[in-house]
Amino acid sequence: MDLGVFIQILVWGIYAGCIYILLAIGLNLIFGVMKVVNFAHGELLMLGAYATFWIYTFSGLNPYLVIPLAMIILAIVGVFIERLCFRPIMGTGKLNEIFLSLGLIYLFQNLAAVFWTTDSRSIHSPYSDVSITLGSINLPVDYIIIIVITAICLIALQLFMKKATLGRAMRATSQNREAATLMGINVERMDMLSFALGAAFAATAGSLCLITGQMVNPYVGSIPAIEAFAVVIIGGLGSIPGAIIAGLTLGIAENIVPLFMQYSVGLLGLEMSFSAWKDTIAFIILIIVLVIRPTGIFGEKEE
Amino acid sequence: MKLNRLNIKTGIDIVTLILAFLLPLILEVNQYLLTVLILMLVFTMYSSAWNLLATSGQGSLGHAAFFGIGGYVSAIISNSFGLPVIVTIVIGGFFAAVIGVLIGLTCVRLKAWFLAMVTFGFAIIVQTVTVELSGLTGGWDGIPAKKLVPVTITNHVMYEYYIILLIAVVVIVIIYLIMKSKMGLALEAIRENELEAKVMGINVTVYKLKAFAASAFFTGIAGALEIHHFGYVTPEVYGIDISFWPIIYSVSGGLYTIGGPILGTVVITAIWEVLRSFGMTYGRFILIGLILILIVIFLPKGLISIPEKIRSIFLKN
Amino acid sequence: MKYGILIAVLAVSLLVAGCVEQPKETQQGVEEIRIGVVAPLTGGASTTGTDMWQAAVLAADEINAQGGVLVNGTYLKVKLFKGDTETSREGGVKVVTKLITNDEVDFLIGGFSSGITYADQVVAAEHKVPFIITGASSPIITRRDDIDTSYFFHHCPTTDDYPDSTLLFVDEIVKPLIDERYNFPENRTLRLGVIYQDSKYGEGVYDGIKKAIEEHNLNMEIVSAEKFKMSETDFRTPLTVMKAANPDVVYPAAFLNEQALIVSQGRRDVGLDTIYLSVECNDDTDYYTGVEKWGEYSIQESRFGPYVIPAGPISSAVVKFKADFENKWGAPPSMMGASTYEGVYIAAEAIKNLGGTLDKEEIRASLAELEIPQIIEVMQNGVITFSPDYRESKFDLYMEQLIWNETVGETRPKIVWPDSVKETDFVLPDWYKPGGP
Repeated sequence: MDLGVFIQILVWGIYAGCIYILLAIGLNLIFGVMKVVNFAHGELLMLGAYATFWIYTFSGLNPYLVIPLAMIILAIVGVFIERLCFRPIMGTGKLNEIFLSLGLIYLFQNLAAVFWTTDSRSIHSPYSDVSITLGSINLPVDYIIIIVITAICLIALQLFMKKATLGRAMRATSQNREAATLMGINVERMDMLSFALGAAFAATAGSLCLITGQMVNPYVGSIPAIEAFAVVIIGGLGSIPGAIIAGLTLGIAENIVPLFMQYSVGLLGLEMSFSAWKDTIAFIILIIVLVIRPTGIFGEKEE
Repeated sequence: MKLNRLNIKTGIDIVTLILAFLLPLILEVNQYLLTVLILMLVFTMYSSAWNLLATSGQGSLGHAAFFGIGGYVSAIISNSFGLPVIVTIVIGGFFAAVIGVLIGLTCVRLKAWFLAMVTFGFAIIVQTVTVELSGLTGGWDGIPAKKLVPVTITNHVMYEYYIILLIAVVVIVIIYLIMKSKMGLALEAIRENELEAKVMGINVTVYKLKAFAASAFFTGIAGALEIHHFGYVTPEVYGIDISFWPIIYSVSGGLYTIGGPILGTVVITAIWEVLRSFGMTYGRFILIGLILILIVIFLPKGLISIPEKIRSIFLKN
Repeated sequence: MKYGILIAVLAVSLLVAGCVEQPKETQQGVEEIRIGVVAPLTGGASTTGTDMWQAAVLAADEINAQGGVLVNGTYLKVKLFKGDTETSREGGVKVVTKLITNDEVDFLIGGFSSGITYADQVVAAEHKVPFIITGASSPIITRRDDIDTSYFFHHCPTTDDYPDSTLLFVDEIVKPLIDERYNFPENRTLRLGVIYQDSKYGEGVYDGIKKAIEEHNLNMEIVSAEKFKMSETDFRTPLTVMKAANPDVVYPAAFLNEQALIVSQGRRDVGLDTIYLSVECNDDTDYYTGVEKWGEYSIQESRFGPYVIPAGPISSAVVKFKADFENKWGAPPSMMGASTYEGVYIAAEAIKNLGGTLDKEEIRASLAELEIPQIIEVMQNGVITFSPDYRESKFDLYMEQLIWNETVGETRPKIVWPDSVKETDFVLPDWYKPGGP
C-alpha cells in the first residue's frame, strides 16, 4: 500500500476521532458526576448544529464565532434535561436511564422535524477552499481548526477541573458523592453543571460537523452518538483519558481496518469493499474489548 | 378471599380469550383490523420475550437481531426444504436461541449500559452479515417467504389471525410459567442484586444464558410469524425501530410483569392507530416519546399499576 | 383485576378504531374515483413522502376543478386517501391494507423505498388493486415472481435506467473530450469509479452500471467500487482509495446528503478532481446549497428538477405545474412529486377509457393499453405507456451540468444532453485530472 495514502487516511481518522472525543468527554463528565448515561446525547449534537445554523443564518457572523453561542444555548437545554428528566429518576435503576433516553430521542427528533422540517440544511465555512499541502498530503484548514478547537476544549476542561474551585468540587463529586455532600458541596448544582458542560461539548461537535460541510436534519445525531458510546465504553465509563485514547483509536481504526481488509481479500483474488463495515468494525472492537475487560480499558474495577 | 380473587382473575382471563377469538366475528371480517391485530399479537409475544430477558436485569437494545434471524431462517428453510411453515417457525426460533446464547455469553459479565451497547451492536453486525450472505439471503433484495395460510384460501387472513392468536397464547403461557417458576425467581434475584444472588447459591451465568436463550427463542418465533404474514423479508427487519418498539411497549405497560408488555402493546398500538385516522404524523412520535418519559418518571411500574395506585389513594382516604 | 383493564382497553380501543376507520359509505354506484397515496409522511424519508402527497393533492384538485373525470357523460370526482407508511414495513403493510379494505380505493399511487414496497405490495397483489409506483426505484417490484405483479405499473425510472442514460452520455460526450485533450488513443478504455450506498438503491445502481456497460458494449471498466453505509458522513477514506485507482469519472449512487459530501470531500479534501456523476434524486434545491461550489461542472442526471425547464412541447406545462405547486404549498415540488402528480392523471385517463365501470381487472387492462401524451416529464416518443413485459413507462432522462452562478452564490444546472432538450455544451473543466493510462 502507498505510504502517502496511508498517512492521508490517518489524518482523516484523527479528524473523525476529534468529533467522537467531544461527544465522549461530555458523556463521561455526566457519568462521572451523576453515574447516569444519556443515550440521547446525539440529539444534543443535532440541536447544537441547528443552533449554529439558525444563528449563522440570521446574523451572518463567522460560523466559528457562533459556536460559543450555540454552546451556551445547549448548556441551558442540558440543565433543563437534567432537572426535568434525569433528576427524578436518579437511583431508580440503570435501565430506567436507557428507557428515558429513548423517549428523549423520539421527542427531540420529531420536535425538530415539526419545527424545522426534515430538509437538509447546510452552511459555508469561510475557509472552505484554503488548504495546506505537505508533500502528497492535503490538509484543509477547516480540519486543522477542528483539531485545534478540540485540543482547546480538552485543555480548558483540564484546567477547569484542576484549578477552578467549581471544577475541583465537580471532581470531588465524581470521586465520592457522599463525602462531597458532607464537605458542603452542593452536589445537585454539580449535576446541573456536568449536564451543561456535556451538552455544550455536544453542541461544539455538532457545529463543527456542520461547518465542515455536513448537512443537518433531525436525524443526524444518531450515528455519531452510537460511535461516541462505543468510544466511551471502550475507554471506560467516566475516564477522560480513556475517551481521548479510545476516540482517536476508533477514528483511525474505522478508516484503516476496512482498507486493510480490502487489501487482504485482494490477496485472495477477491474484490470487496468494506467501507460500509465502519459501524460493524466499531462494534466488533467494542465486543472484543469488553470480553477481555468488562469495564473498558480505563474503566473502574467492578465492585 | 384469596380463592375468590383467583377465581375472578381466571374468569377474566377466559373472557379475554373468548373475546379475542370472537372479535373478528363481532366486527365483521375487516382485513385492516385483522392486520393491526395480527401485528399487535406478534409484538405482544415479542415484547413479552424482551421483558423476560429484562427481568434478569439485562436490557437489550438489539432484539431486532433475533426477530430478523427467526424470520430469515424460517423463510430460507421453508423455501428450500418445503417444510410446513409451522415447523420452520420453530426452527427459526431455535436458531435465534442459539445465536442468543452466543450473544449472551459475551454479555454475562456486562452491566446495564455495556450490555445495551453490545446488544445494539450485534443487531448491526447481524444485518451486515445477512446482507453479505446474499447467496442465501438475497442481499438487499430480500427473499419471498411463504404465507402462513396460502392466499388462495378465502378469509386466509382470519385463519392467520387465529393461528397467531393460538401461538401467542401458548407463548405467553410458557413465559408466564417460566416467570412463576424457580427460574423466574432466580432472574428477579439476579436483577435486584447479582452479588446477593450469587451468595444465595444461584448460578448467575447459567440463569442469564437461559434467559437469553428463552427470550431469543420467542422473539425468533414472533419474527418468523411476522415474516410469514408479510410474505417477504428484507434486511430492513433489523431496523433500530424494531429493537425499540418492544421496549416502548414493555415500559409503558409495566416492566417485569406478565400483563405489562401485553397491556402496553395493546394500548400503544390502539393510540397509534386512532391517531393515524386523525392524520397525525410526527405528533404520534412526539407523543410516544412523552409517554415513555412520563411513565419512567411518574409511573415506573407502568400502566398496569394504575389500579393499584388508585386503590392506595382510596385506602389512604 | 389488571386483566379487567386489559379487556376494557382492548375492546374500547378496537371499537374506537373500528368506528373511526369504517368508511362512511351509504350510497352504491360509481360517483368518485378513490385513490390511495402510499408515501412515507413520517420518519427518515418524510420530506419526499410529503412532496408526493402534496403533488397528488394538486393533481386531484386540478381534475376536480374541471368538474372531475368525464366518463360516459357524467363527471366523477377524484378522492384521495392519505397512506402514511411511517418509513417502516409494518406501517406500509398496515396502511396499504387499510386503504384497500377500509377506504376501498380503486388505485394505489406512490410507494417509496423498495424495502417497504416489497412488503406492502404483497397485500395489493392479493387484492388485485392496480398500483402505480411513482417512487420506489427497484426493477424487482414489477419483476418478482412469488406474487402476481400484473397489477403493478412502474411510473418512475428504475435503478437500471439511471446508469443506462448516464453512461451513454459519458460515452458519447465526456469520453471523446478527455481522449482529445490528453491525446489518448480512441480505443482507450474509460476508467470508472463507483461509490455506492449499502442498500437496495445503491446496489441496484451498481448492478445497473455493470448491465449498461455490457448491454451497450461500452468501452469502460470499473477500476474501483466502494460501498458505504446509509447516512454516512465521512467519505474521505474510500475516496482516497478511489483516487489511488485513478478513475476518469466517478459515479456515486447516493442520497442527497451523501452526494453533497462525496463531491465536496472528494474535491476539497482528497483532491479527486474529476467529473462526478449523480443519480436523479439529488436534483433538489437542498443539494445545490449543500454542495457549494465544489459541485461545479459535475453532472446531474434528471427528469424533473427545481432549476431547469426542458425545451420542447412540455415546457409550458412544467412552468405551470411549478407555479401552481409553489402557490399551493409554499415550496417548490421535487422529482418524486412530479411523477406522483402524473400518476393521478394516469389513473384518471385509465378510467376515462372504461365507460363507467371501476372493476379492478378492467382498470388493469386499461392501464396496460394506456397511451397518453407526456405531461410534465419527457417520455420516450413523447407518450406515457407501459411496456408489455414489465409494465414500466420509459422516461427520456437528460443530463445537466452544474455551472457556477455568481448572483445566487450557488451552482445552477444547465441541460447538456440529449440534443432534443440541450441548453448548452458540456464543458470539461481546466482543473480536471484524467485517470491513469
